[in-house]
Amino acid sequence: MPELGGAALWPYLIVGGGGLLVMVVDSFVRTLKKDHLSYLTMFVLIAAIAVQIAGETREGTVLHGMLVTGAYARFFNFLFAGIGVVTTIFAGGIFDRDGRHRPEVYPLLLFTVLGMMVLAAANDLMTLFLGLETMSLATYVLAGGVRGDVRSSEAGFKYLVLGGFSSAFLLMGMALLYGFAGDTGFAGISAAMTQGEPDTILVTLGMGLMLVGFGFKVALVPFHMWTPDVYDGAPAYITGFMATAVKAAGFAILLRWVVLMQPQLAFVWYPVLAVLAVLTMSVGNVVAIVQSNIKRMLAWSSIAHAGYLFLGLLALMSPARGGSDAMMRTREMGEAAGSGLLFYLIAYSVMNLAAFGVVNVLSSERGKEADDINRYAGLSRRRPVAAAVLAVALLSLAGIPPFVGFMAKFYVFAAVVRAGLVPLAIIGVINSLVSVYYYLRVIVVMYMNEPAEDSYDGTEWVSFVTAGALALLVIYLGVRPDAFHHAAEVVVRQLPF
Amino acid sequence: MEVTLTHYLVLATLLFLTGMTGFVVRRNAIVMLMCVELMLCAVNIVFVAFSRLHGDGGGHVFVLMNFAVAAAEAAIGLAILVEIFRRRRTVDVDDLKALME
Repeated sequence: MPELGGAALWPYLIVGGGGLLVMVVDSFVRTLKKDHLSYLTMFVLIAAIAVQIAGETREGTVLHGMLVTGAYARFFNFLFAGIGVVTTIFAGGIFDRDGRHRPEVYPLLLFTVLGMMVLAAANDLMTLFLGLETMSLATYVLAGGVRGDVRSSEAGFKYLVLGGFSSAFLLMGMALLYGFAGDTGFAGISAAMTQGEPDTILVTLGMGLMLVGFGFKVALVPFHMWTPDVYDGAPAYITGFMATAVKAAGFAILLRWVVLMQPQLAFVWYPVLAVLAVLTMSVGNVVAIVQSNIKRMLAWSSIAHAGYLFLGLLALMSPARGGSDAMMRTREMGEAAGSGLLFYLIAYSVMNLAAFGVVNVLSSERGKEADDINRYAGLSRRRPVAAAVLAVALLSLAGIPPFVGFMAKFYVFAAVVRAGLVPLAIIGVINSLVSVYYYLRVIVVMYMNEPAEDSYDGTEWVSFVTAGALALLVIYLGVRPDAFHHAAEVVVRQLPF
Repeated sequence: MEVTLTHYLVLATLLFLTGMTGFVVRRNAIVMLMCVELMLCAVNIVFVAFSRLHGDGGGHVFVLMNFAVAAAEAAIGLAILVEIFRRRRTVDVDDLKALME
């Protein structure tokens, strides 16, 4: 890949510089109104998107091979910046309402997005680690930074301690791979693996330890224990951000990592990963059934969705171990599974943001998080639009047509079947069926139960409109998925299978 | 006795396992943070040892970055801990039960 000039770095500079700018503006401009920071943050993110569209489009590396730019990085930059804009809107709405003003959220959001962008484009163990930690450190503060809220502090601390613990494993894995290859660049490591003796203990152990670190970030069972507590303790708009963007960033790097390191992963860790994927789906869905707190329920459901996404990764790896349909070549299988995975990430982000958007609006009224499912009773009568949006999002998460969740699952499971992993696909479908139960329960409470005195209510219309737009997107993408799926295919084609 | 790569790796392994065990066994939040730092130290030793083995500077750079990130992480962790201690008067993780069901 050619080394490109600095022009390709503009989106990263804008988001990072924008974060610093927002911080300075917040500290020094005294006449500031509360929502000005929110506008500024949105402007920065939209500017980054605009520069990304107008700027460098070639495939190549920048900063001496530290980052890869091109279709794949652009895809994820759009996704992260988009999620950032939506989260900014949700955050702005809630601050306006009840005086829980947290100006530090905006620069932290921008830094998180920067970390994710670097992570998705990483082409070297150093940039991978820096991106991951930039993202994680900012997220710890976002989750734990609500002053005077013990639940938030506790969530932040649990996230930080377990995150640091898993980072140590990830780093040890990196150190061992570095010891094997003598190079921190992905290209060098990949080359050393294809040339040298592939299954030395350094590589096997290093890969395993790195997978532990990645597994923590995307909440793979058994590294998922932090998820329900953190998603529960953090404010709803941050939870929505963590459930979508942070998970997408984890899968962004996992997908590229798997493509680069395929032979190693496929031969040694493949059976372990298959077991973990099945466990992740099943544990997530079964535990979600007994939750009475909607944020915890969505947390367990996000664990289950990580399992579905992981099935896509397994399908992508399968040709290397000769398990796939004999007619399928590595590249075709990779493209089918990879594009399914990317489409799933878009779909998952849109529907989850819609769901958390509604939870967030309802949270704003009394300064308490709207997390008790029973208090959603009669929402359809008090706030019909909010109830409809939440219902669409939940049905889509359950994978019911015509919503986008169905199409996303269809693409991923189709790839899994084509990869010859029919038992895994069957387990995945059974899991989706189980998940329908707990998603439907919320809808039943909203539509069938009478509104009670303490039912949640919310009136903040900007967030309502945003969540409503996301719900329309859920329906639109479910009916016409072709354009986005095609875009995902084009992106995946650029990966070096 | 000549000190070889194996010695460094054994030392790093011991340090890593010490940190890991401490993290799992101890319930004091500050000790847990220190255990994570121990594990990161073990990683740094591995990086430097391999850096010397391969005659490549990349490992040294990585170690410097590790220092910076570990410091930032400790700062954030302690800040959140102070907030928790102010409210709860404890840093025992077994007492952090606001989020349990």
